[in-house]
Amino acid sequence: MKFILMMSARKGDWDAFATWSKEDLERNTAFMRAFSKELKDSGVYVASEGLGWPNEAKIVRAGNDGEPITDGIFPESKEFLAGYWIIDVESPEQAQKAAARVSAAPGPGGKPGNIPIEVRRVLGGFADLGL
Amino acid sequence: MKYILLMTGSRGGVDTYRAWSKTDIDAHMTVLQSIDKELNDTGEFVASQGLAGPDEARIVRGERNGAPVTDGVFPESKEFLLGYWIVDVASPERAYAIAGRISTAPGPGGVPTNMPIEVRRLAGKTQESGK
Repeated sequence: MKFILMMSARKGDWDAFATWSKEDLERNTAFMRAFSKELKDSGVYVASEGLGWPNEAKIVRAGNDGEPITDGIFPESKEFLAGYWIIDVESPEQAQKAAARVSAAPGPGGKPGNIPIEVRRVLGGFADLGL
Repeated sequence: MKYILLMTGSRGGVDTYRAWSKTDIDAHMTVLQSIDKELNDTGEFVASQGLAGPDEARIVRGERNGAPVTDGVFPESKEFLLGYWIVDVASPERAYAIAGRISTAPGPGGVPTNMPIEVRRLAGKTQESGK
């Protein structure tokens, strides 16, 4: 079963992240690299991406003439996806265990961030939705 | 430049979607499939995934002992990722144009959904922290 582990944060959290010391950032990055390596070594890794900063984000809708209409204004409460991992595991529990690992990624001063990780099943195809 | 196009919806929106007729769903999927094909033909397609419904979603945090703590209760306002496309395009404008096309996919009665599509740049390996 494929699952996606998503890390999201509000704009305020991103702003705070931008003020982390170099040491804190390096510790966090090293953890994330080790986590990805662990997933690869155990054969469950499928894909992973990190996203650019929210200030570059745009919401796009189609106008009546089919031209894209973009908007870059978001509520403070909006959660922006920061990055994700897709893993192929035997059970939801195994996916949740991996999510808990990454939730413990170190924050400032090396303390576990305890960031919430959203765990969702990835569809093999549209038919999996059961509509 | 790689961009990710995120399609999101609230739980209420997803429930509405479940009530679509088979004809409406088929028409919607046909357009999305033709967009995928087009992106394959232009060489801009990188990846795409659909996610299972929000009712299966869990938020996971790590506890001190490393055990996952799961929570499946979300505010009504929460936006759930429904699916995404990753495209490799020459400019942000091209990414917005593709998002606009996705936004025009037909909904009930063939009327375009005008769904908002969030467009985000993928972080290059050297730009992950933005520093």
